[in-house]
Amino acid sequence: MRTLHTRRSFLRQSALGGSLALSAPAFVGATFRELAAGQDRPVAADTGRDAPILVVLQLAGGNDGLNTVVPVNNDDYRRARPRLAIAATDALRLDDTTGLHPAMTGAKELFDSGLLSIVQGVGYPNPNRSHFRSTDIWMTGSSADEVRNRGWLGQYFDNACHGSQPPAGLSVGRSTPLAFASERVSGVAMQNPNSLRFFPGEEDSMKTTSARYRSVSGGGDIAALGTSEEVGASIADVAGSGPASMNPVDFLERTALDAQITADRVQAVAARGKANAHYPTSPLGNDLRFVARLISGGLATRVYYLSQGGYDTHAQQAPAHRGLLADLGESLAAFLNDMKAAGALDRVLVMTFSEFGRRVAENGSGGTDHGAASSLFLAGGRVKAGLHGRVPSLAPADLVNGDPKHEIDFRSVYAGILEHWLKTPSAPILGRSFHPLEVV
Amino acid sequence: MLAAGEISSGKQKPPRHAVTDERRNSTHSNRVTPSAAFLPDADSQAGVVTSRGPAASIESDMLKPLPLNRWNRATAAHLLNRAGFGGPPGAVAALASRSPAEAVAALMAQKESGQTPDLPWAKPDPHRAEIAARIRSAAGVERQALVAEQRRKALAETSEMQEWWLGRMASGPDFFREKLTLFWHGHFATSIRKVREPYLMWRQNDLFRRLGTGSWRELLQAVVRDPAMLVWLDQAQSRKEHPNENFARELMELFTLGEGRYSERDVAEAARALTGESLDRETDAHVYRTSFHDGGTKTVLGVSGHLKSDDIIDAILAKPEADRFIAGKLWTFFAGAAPGEKLGDALAAEFRACGQRFQPFLRAVFESAEFYEPEVVGRQIKSPVQWLITACLQLERPLPPAPVPSFMLRTLGQELFAPPNVKGWDGGAAWINTNTLLARHNLALLLVEGETAFTAAGNRLGIGAAAQLWHDRPLTPPADPKPWFAEADRVGRNRVISAIEHRFFSQPISARPREALLAAIPNNSHLDNVQLRAAVRLALCAPEYQLA
Repeated sequence: MRTLHTRRSFLRQSALGGSLALSAPAFVGATFRELAAGQDRPVAADTGRDAPILVVLQLAGGNDGLNTVVPVNNDDYRRARPRLAIAATDALRLDDTTGLHPAMTGAKELFDSGLLSIVQGVGYPNPNRSHFRSTDIWMTGSSADEVRNRGWLGQYFDNACHGSQPPAGLSVGRSTPLAFASERVSGVAMQNPNSLRFFPGEEDSMKTTSARYRSVSGGGDIAALGTSEEVGASIADVAGSGPASMNPVDFLERTALDAQITADRVQAVAARGKANAHYPTSPLGNDLRFVARLISGGLATRVYYLSQGGYDTHAQQAPAHRGLLADLGESLAAFLNDMKAAGALDRVLVMTFSEFGRRVAENGSGGTDHGAASSLFLAGGRVKAGLHGRVPSLAPADLVNGDPKHEIDFRSVYAGILEHWLKTPSAPILGRSFHPLEVV
Repeated sequence: MLAAGEISSGKQKPPRHAVTDERRNSTHSNRVTPSAAFLPDADSQAGVVTSRGPAASIESDMLKPLPLNRWNRATAAHLLNRAGFGGPPGAVAALASRSPAEAVAALMAQKESGQTPDLPWAKPDPHRAEIAARIRSAAGVERQALVAEQRRKALAETSEMQEWWLGRMASGPDFFREKLTLFWHGHFATSIRKVREPYLMWRQNDLFRRLGTGSWRELLQAVVRDPAMLVWLDQAQSRKEHPNENFARELMELFTLGEGRYSERDVAEAARALTGESLDRETDAHVYRTSFHDGGTKTVLGVSGHLKSDDIIDAILAKPEADRFIAGKLWTFFAGAAPGEKLGDALAAEFRACGQRFQPFLRAVFESAEFYEPEVVGRQIKSPVQWLITACLQLERPLPPAPVPSFMLRTLGQELFAPPNVKGWDGGAAWINTNTLLARHNLALLLVEGETAFTAAGNRLGIGAAAQLWHDRPLTPPADPKPWFAEADRVGRNRVISAIEHRFFSQPISARPREALLAAIPNNSHLDNVQLRAAVRLALCAPEYQLA
């Protein structure tokens, strides 16, 4: 069992190194097969503590970009939307031809303070109007005619986050998005600081029960990692063959291990983190407040993922959309305030996206149907603030299937974020070269 | 009969159907062959088979019945897990003592409804129009109060309805029908969050239970007119001036054909054909509004004419892709992984041969040797519903009192009547992430040790979240391990582990968690109830327990 020996040696070295935090990444960061095969990477010096942070916010359901970033004084827009068009006088004006939805006062403040960038006309060729397919395309960074099973952020974890402190990615909620699907370095899902605590059964044996639980479920006793060879060996016993073909037992054990490592770390971090800004009392507000606590507390996670649902406004769009955008603007403003208070404003970049925009013409139910290209927001201390990209023409003759043509490929935005913000080559992650948008 | 006709009609009508029917005759002679009614003549059927090309001869080897020598306790347990929600060792033994065909027939036979009482409010509300009128005419504070009252009522009824359905699943006796109803709920995934009226959700659930084993065409015709669906995908509001494409698109993408097997034009034209299917909000009933309907000609999937909704369904069901889609999706749900190319072909052919009816198709699936292959057995990640119901059946314990079960399912990511979106739950590995896996481990404490212990543990950790679930009633006590362990099983930890494996696991616990379990169980000559419960709870945290 040479491989076990390798594993044990590694554990011992980590223990000698004296930092438990440095020893954990490899367990999460490499597949069990790699561990068992003795292919441990050297523990990286970069713990990710000062690295840039990306916060990805999905506006799920297909946000109506035209009523979010409004083309004011545009006759085509007004004609296509007799009921739903935002009046030029109501829009929060950004320049002569553009304004924000009147509910987005929070976002307008960010724009005025130079913390918000708006990229218009973002999409991809041959747009797909299925929520699920188009979401998958955005999540994996694929073309419309190509199916990938790994996420663009998962590829980033695999390519650039070896040796950083886990979790590389944290999704706030009950599930991890396809965007996180990866080969080696995993992201985790959690709802709040306490959501990953194990309930031991009996008071008098709490410690024992917890330790045994960790062994039974597939994790190890993290506290004992530095000293117990037994636990290290048992982890190495779990030989998987990579997540793509990982057998379900290995997958379950790895998930249990991720949960335990994350729980230990996040509880410590959340306890010292602060988030005192005024957030809306909404799921999005709560989720962003949680992320603010983790960032200000010093969690080394590189990518946070959140989702705000409800954008599939086929009917009676106006009141629902107004509520969503108000929540979005206020939540973002509060979050950036907290980042400023934590001195992290320049380390954080928020990107919103939605699987598609909506049809230019409103439908008969006071709503809009699935469309294509749309606008997205980038927010943070170092964004190239202002309006970017050309507004696609809304003239009926210029529309394709009732939708405006995209001007900027979403993967150019990804490439810009990867190259200029996360400082990593984008082509290996996106599968080919895209012109990186100057996002910061 | 059909086989004979096919053979005499001759030619390349080969082996596939002949063999299939031979097999049918030998295994269950009383089975009607519905394909005769569905397909006009043998030639067109031969045409279908021929068009699939060389694969046909290989397919003839597939979906043959499981040989008797492979039928044993493990395969019987697998059938019970998948066609139902599993059960205690006694239920497995009863099934194993029959022949595979008898076991499948017994599981699938329609049964009198069980001990779960009907929901008192699940019927048309005679005061509905009156309440709606009162809300309309009210203003200001009065109106707000009326609306709030309706919302409270809907919330309470939704919760009752979740518990009611889980009760049916847990107490049986028609486990198969409830399992299939759960499939349809995930397939036509409709959520109370938009539909808002529990009664409409209940009606849809009842529809799945009544029609879910029957004909695909009839089920689709009913779903098009189902009030909850009409609201959920906005079909109720679609008018000829502005057809709403939501339902038309999902009908083809998610319900019948799959993404990419239709064009954008098919969606737009189908939306026109579907106009007119609407809802009378006063009575909550389906209504056909001629004034909403676009009577012009349309072309959908190559079929042209003054098409209406049923014509769209016919055009869809005429496509071979439709057989492949739903047959493959059912296989995936029951077998745990998508079928490969060849099996997908065989399933599609079987479904068509069954006249696009679900009962005979699923019988063939449950009897097939493929269903019991090693890559199928014990490798499906339990859905949260499966996890909960199976655990209660194995523990021989009733479901925890309301609203605990629905709380558990929400935490685990499968809130009934509220799927995340119209695609339903992704299932498989997507059930498991750091959050939901840990929740399963913690909720195992509640099931085994009772609410008292669960609350105490939560309080100790400063997580009081559960407390509001049982504010006024007495907490459930720990389970009694008596049904789980015969006296002889309490002697020594090896006996204990064997008994646990026998009752709770579809496959042996692997070496590492097994060793950890062994280390955790005291090696006493006689283990007491506290020790046994602790052992069971810990065992339910083993990775293998998440699989069935």
